[in-house]
Amino acid sequence: MADRGGTSSGGGGNGAPELAKKSRKPKYSRFSQQELPACKPILTPGWVITAFISIGVIFIPIGLASLFASQRVVEIVDRYDRDCIPRNVSDDGVGFIEDAKANKTCVRTLTVQKQMKSPIYVYYQISNFYQNHRRYVKSRDDKQLWSPKNERSSSDCKPEDFTSNGQPIIPCGLIAWSMFNDTYKFSVKDKVLEVNKKGIAWKSDREHKFGSDVYPKNFQSGALIGGAKLNSSIPLSQQEDLIVWMRPAALPTFRKLYGKIEVDLEPNDNITVIIENNYNTYSFGGNKKLVLSTTSWMGGKNDFLGVAYLTIGGLCLFLAISFILVYVLKPRPLGDPSYLSWNRNAAGHLN
Amino acid sequence: MIIFHGDQVELARVMKEEVKKDLKNCLEEAQQYFRTVSGPKLTLVIDGKCLMYALDPSLRVMLLNLSLNCTSVVCCRVSPLQKAQVTSLVKKGARKITLSIGDGANDVSMIQAAHVGVGISGLEGMQAVMASDFAIAQFRFLSDLLLVHGRWSYLRICKVVTYFFYKNLTFTLTQFWFTFQTGFSGQRFYDDWFQSLYNVMFTSLPVIIYGLLEKDVSASLSKKYPQLYMEGIRNSFFRWRVVAAWAFSAIYQSLIFYHFVTTSSLTGQNSSGRTFGLWDVSTVAFTCVVVTVNLRLLMMCNSITRWHYVSVGGSILAWFVFVFVYSLIRENILYVIYVVMSTFYFYLAFLLVPTVALLLDFIRQGVQRWFFPYDYQIVQEIHRHEPDDNTRAGALEISNHLTADEARSFAISQLPRETSRHTGFAFDSPGYESFFASQQGVYAPQKAWDVVRRASMRSKLKAPPLPPKK
Repeated sequence: MADRGGTSSGGGGNGAPELAKKSRKPKYSRFSQQELPACKPILTPGWVITAFISIGVIFIPIGLASLFASQRVVEIVDRYDRDCIPRNVSDDGVGFIEDAKANKTCVRTLTVQKQMKSPIYVYYQISNFYQNHRRYVKSRDDKQLWSPKNERSSSDCKPEDFTSNGQPIIPCGLIAWSMFNDTYKFSVKDKVLEVNKKGIAWKSDREHKFGSDVYPKNFQSGALIGGAKLNSSIPLSQQEDLIVWMRPAALPTFRKLYGKIEVDLEPNDNITVIIENNYNTYSFGGNKKLVLSTTSWMGGKNDFLGVAYLTIGGLCLFLAISFILVYVLKPRPLGDPSYLSWNRNAAGHLN
Repeated sequence: MIIFHGDQVELARVMKEEVKKDLKNCLEEAQQYFRTVSGPKLTLVIDGKCLMYALDPSLRVMLLNLSLNCTSVVCCRVSPLQKAQVTSLVKKGARKITLSIGDGANDVSMIQAAHVGVGISGLEGMQAVMASDFAIAQFRFLSDLLLVHGRWSYLRICKVVTYFFYKNLTFTLTQFWFTFQTGFSGQRFYDDWFQSLYNVMFTSLPVIIYGLLEKDVSASLSKKYPQLYMEGIRNSFFRWRVVAAWAFSAIYQSLIFYHFVTTSSLTGQNSSGRTFGLWDVSTVAFTCVVVTVNLRLLMMCNSITRWHYVSVGGSILAWFVFVFVYSLIRENILYVIYVVMSTFYFYLAFLLVPTVALLLDFIRQGVQRWFFPYDYQIVQEIHRHEPDDNTRAGALEISNHLTADEARSFAISQLPRETSRHTGFAFDSPGYESFFASQQGVYAPQKAWDVVRRASMRSKLKAPPLPPKK
């Protein structure tokens, strides 16, 4: 039919024309003619209810397992920055912290409520500290941390990139400069609890990010000291406190791993903690907390995932039941032409 | 009977009065018919000479009112200019979308005057095709053009545009919620390469495939239920309500992504107690965003082909391949994905977050489909058990199953055509009295040059036809 314009109307009584007229039809393919086989799903009530029930059935056990794991975790949280300032200077925390000669030692007592099986993880938690601030996150040089060849740091590290006489600072940048330097010593019943500080950083950081032949140089040598000092004879890949600190936290309230205690703690044990309250969170209204926590297969104490799973599972089961009720009370036959809008208006059919 | 000699102005004035009287009578008659509810369908027939007067600015409005009251209007013997004038009258006066279709050079002005111009390529040459927006080969393809392809295009464009805004809104709003917790310093939540490649690699191909291949009902059903076309006329898929629903969905999803992932990241993340940093959390969130946004596209498809699966699966796979390679290269993201995927937390979050994010849309689709269905959804349900008519016979070819009427008209169209008396590049041929003018008893004298032209044409026609070849 499309070739009709090509044939002549006068002649053409012969069987086969001498010259084969070329067809101008475009090449056929299922893709270009949009004739691909397709699955045409229709969301019937059966599917809706099935989906809700299956979500409920899968999520509720997972939620129970997560919540159970989280509830089994025992956590002790102790805020010490307010009480670790001597009473006579308690309204001038900043001055106290910045005084290099003041005695910063502070003794706290923690009571264990439930049995804590080893390993028990020691964290320090800081709040109102914006490790996710743009200038802060930028202020590091990963190339310098990895290899001693890249000593000259990038300009991102300003103002902590070079000393006043032009020497490079390793590790450079504000993140390293502001390293946390409170220390904790634990003892129970006059027996010292060893804190294992090995393996607190992620293995990939230790092996691939911080070089084993890079040593700290000119660190915290300026007038303004932001945090901890580093031992310049230990390579960076073994400075695990630094590695942990240099992983910038996502939120202004965060926890970082300090060490592990590899001894069980029994209920009603009184742990004596000797804290060196060195770190200055007073000038920006932050607070510091010491956290002792066990872990489960899921990690630390976080009820959120368990509660979320249970809530969503429960909600889906509730929705399944309510949809069943609604479909029973207000049924609509599937594929009924009287529901087409032109049939509805003509028949005066109100849905 | 009135015969005028030479005074054209006077003639024009009288004609105009006659036409005005006629139009008024017709309009009153039409309105009278309309007052009765089940009146007959009215058609207006007007020819070129009458139209010349009826398109006068003083009479134009009456003509338009009358035409809009009629079911159809036939204008015959019109010049190309008048065709364009009638089209513009409806376009501007009635403020409706107009489509004009024509096959000859005399239709070019009309095709260009309308909103949508369709040209038919064929016997009269390619002038109409060159001036048109759409070109088809035969007049009957117009129904396919409008009811099938026009309708599908409308659906596809609406859905593609709203989906595009939704996916970018979701992605950007997660960053927005993050700024509240960075001290408003402008720190990005995601790594910059993640952001750059989001629209290029991880979410682009599925929506392209959707725009190419989406069909709500098949081609034959589109022609069987032409009332489905009303969805486009009513603009059902691009109202403010629809856009607002997508925007709300984007806001809700971005809140889920951001808060679910960050709230559960405070404590140690695996059994060795180590904590996550910013880049770990953002990688988890980004994975959830990519997966959710792609699955959302699948949820809104009416017909899912192999290419949909390939593109959606391929995009998600591309994300994982990219991040596995990228985290071996880029310094600040180093090994992040490996760290993250070594914790149970990641898999729990990966199952929970997209499900919660899509839950609201799923509920909304279930409720809408059942209680407030669109017409095309009812049609889908009516014909849900029929197999796909994807065979070639269902296409525009003449197939074996023509109805009797169609077979008859096809046979007639195969007869050898009479060559028409008029040239086809027709301007209004003067001297031809309109039927209606002669009814009124008004004649105008013939012009000399026209008489000569007609005489020469008649002699051409007298040539004998070629003898049939044996």
